[in-house]
Amino acid sequence: MVNYDNAKDLLTWEFDFALSTYYEIETEAIEHLLPKQLNPIEVAPGIALMSLTALNFPPGALGHLPEFQELIFGLIVTPDLSRGVPKFAMYIVSLSSTNREHLEHCVQHYRLPVHGQFTGVSLQHDPHVVEYEDADGPILSMRNIHPNPAYGEGERYFQAFVMDNDRLYVADVVMKGSLFEHQQTGDAGKLWPHPFYNGVDVEAAEPVAFMQMLNEPGTMGKQLYPRPEKFR
Amino acid sequence: MSPTKKDLPPYTDYTFDMFIKSAGKDHAEITQFNEWRRQVLGADMYTFQIPHLGAQRPEVSVQRVSGDRLDLISLSSYNYLGYSYHPEVLAAAKEALDLYGLGATGSPVLNGTFRIHEVLEDKLIEFFGMPGYGVSLFSSGYGANIGVVSAYAHKGDVVVLDRLSHASLVDGAILSQATVKLFKHNDAEHLDRVLSRLDHKNLRILVCTEGVYSADGDTGHVKDIVRVSKKYGATVLVDEAHSLLIAGENGRGVSEEQGVLDEVDMIIATFSKSFGGVGGCLFAREELTNYVNWYARSRMFSCALDPAVTGGLIKALELAGGPDGKVKRERIKANADYLRSLLQGEVDIGNSHSWIIPVIFGDEHLYIPLSDYLQREGVDASLMSFPAVPKNQSRIRLFVTSEHTKAQLERGAEVILKAAEHFGFLLEN
Repeated sequence: MVNYDNAKDLLTWEFDFALSTYYEIETEAIEHLLPKQLNPIEVAPGIALMSLTALNFPPGALGHLPEFQELIFGLIVTPDLSRGVPKFAMYIVSLSSTNREHLEHCVQHYRLPVHGQFTGVSLQHDPHVVEYEDADGPILSMRNIHPNPAYGEGERYFQAFVMDNDRLYVADVVMKGSLFEHQQTGDAGKLWPHPFYNGVDVEAAEPVAFMQMLNEPGTMGKQLYPRPEKFR
Repeated sequence: MSPTKKDLPPYTDYTFDMFIKSAGKDHAEITQFNEWRRQVLGADMYTFQIPHLGAQRPEVSVQRVSGDRLDLISLSSYNYLGYSYHPEVLAAAKEALDLYGLGATGSPVLNGTFRIHEVLEDKLIEFFGMPGYGVSLFSSGYGANIGVVSAYAHKGDVVVLDRLSHASLVDGAILSQATVKLFKHNDAEHLDRVLSRLDHKNLRILVCTEGVYSADGDTGHVKDIVRVSKKYGATVLVDEAHSLLIAGENGRGVSEEQGVLDEVDMIIATFSKSFGGVGGCLFAREELTNYVNWYARSRMFSCALDPAVTGGLIKALELAGGPDGKVKRERIKANADYLRSLLQGEVDIGNSHSWIIPVIFGDEHLYIPLSDYLQREGVDASLMSFPAVPKNQSRIRLFVTSEHTKAQLERGAEVILKAAEHFGFLLEN
C-alpha cells in the first residue's frame, strides 16, 4: 500500500456518502482533454472510461466547514506503477462543490480544476441517489444500480493527476471504509449537457455505466489525500 | 470458517489489468508484475502454467513449483472428445511425422504447404457438406481470427463485436484499423440498433459472434444475429471454437444446430479443442478463402501447420464425422448434464446448457487461494476473474469431456462443493 511517511501536507477527509460511476465513452470524445504524458485506459477498442464521483462531507470534514457536497469529473488513465500499483489512475478534469471555501482550498492545496459552485444538490444515502445542478442547469442524476450491495472494509489506492499552469501533478490517494464495487448493468441515471464536462458531449456519447463504487450507508469513510507533487 | 478479505495476503488484491501498462519510460509494470509473482511463488500459491506430466486425459498428474506431484481430476482441458490421445489419432500423427518430418519449415503460401494440408482441407469441406466452399488453414486459432478479421476489414470499414468476444476477434478488429462497435452480449435487438445507426448502405460491416462463449458456457444467438445482420447487408463471422464437432446433429456447430449454416459467411474453427490438436481455419466460400490465404498476415507470415498434427487432425475429423463422433457427442452432453445435476442448487452455475459449466464464486480476492485449494484437493480447474468477467463474478470454469466417467465427475463435484463450503460460496437454501 501507500507509504505516506514523506507525503506533503497529508489531509484526511471524512465522508459519509460516496458514489462513483465509470462510464464508457468513445476515446476520441475525450482524448483531447488529456496531457501528453497520459493515455486513456481502453476497455474495448476505441472505448475509454470517464468517472463521476459524488461525495458528501459532514460538518468538520475539513476544519470548520459545514456539511458540503462535491462532484469530480475524471478520465481513467494509465497509472505510474513506479509509485506503487493502484486500483486505477484518474486525470481530474473538473470539480465543483456546494462550498466556496472548500473550492478555494481545492485550488490552493490540490491545484484542482474547479468549475464552480452548485446551486442545488439532492442526495439520498440509501439507496444511493444524487442530483447536481448549478446556474447553467442540471449536471447529472446518478444512482446505484446494484440491488444488494455487499459492503466490506477495504482500501482503494488511486493516483490523482491534475494539470496546473501547464505542469502535470500527481497525488497518491487512499480511500478507506466499508465499500462495494460492482459492474451490474442497468440505468445509472442521466448526464446533462453542461459546461462542467469541459466540452465533452456526454449526451451524444450515450455513456454506459461500466462500474460503480459506493460506501455503506451510515458509515464513515476516509480519504487520505496529500498535496500533489510534480510528475516527471 | 471461510476466509474474509482481511485474512487474505496482499497479493490477492491485484488483478491482471493492474500490471498492463505504466506511464513513463521505465517499464515499472515489469518490475511490479515480477514482484507480485515473486510473492505468490514465495507463498507456494502459484498455480499458473503448472506443468502437466502426461496427455490431457480426465485424470492428470501435475508438478507444482515446489516439486509436489499432484494427481488430479481434469476439468480444465478443451480436449472435449478425447482425440488428443486417441490411439488412431496418434498413429496417424506418427505416420505423418515419419513422412513429412517435424515441421513445415515455411509459409503455407510459399514452400510450407504439404499434400497432407490439402487432404485436411478436402476433409473439412466434405465434413461440412458444402460444395463451392474452401478452407484456409492457420497454425493457431488465435492466428485464424486475427488474420481473417484483419484481411477482410480495413480502415473505413466497421467491425461489430459482441461485448464478450474472444480476445482474438478483438485483436483482429484492432489490427484491421476498422471502426469497432460493440453490441450487448447475445442481444440481437441491440445489434439492430447499432447497425441502424451506421451508414449501412455504403459501409462494409463485419459482425462477429461465437457458437459457445467460454466464460458462461452459453450458446450464441447465431440465428437472430444472422437475421439482423443480413437485414443491413452485413457479413457474419461465427467462431465455433468451443462448439465444432460437438453442437449440431452432425457436429457442424451451433450454426448447424440453429439451421443457419448456409447463411453464415465465415466459420472459424479451432483445432486445439474438440480436434485435440492445434491450429485453426476459416471455412467460407472458396473465393474468400483464396483471398485470405494470401492476405491474412498471420497466415502468410507464420509457418504452416505442423504436419504430424495435421495427420492427427485428419483422423480426428474422420472419427468425429462417423459413428465415434455421434457417440461422443451424446456422451459429452450427458456428462455435462450429470455434472450440472451434481452442482445445481448447491452453487451458482449460471445459465450454461453446454459442456462448459461456470461455478461463480464472486470475489476476485479468492482467485489464487481457491485455485491452490482445488489443486491440492484434487481438481484441475480453470479460474476466471476481473477483467475477463465482471467484478464479483469470478468463476471456476469446468470443462466436461465425453471421456469423463461418472465417478470422475462425482469426485470433481465433491471437491468443488467442499471448496464452496470452505470459501463461503455455497448457495443458501
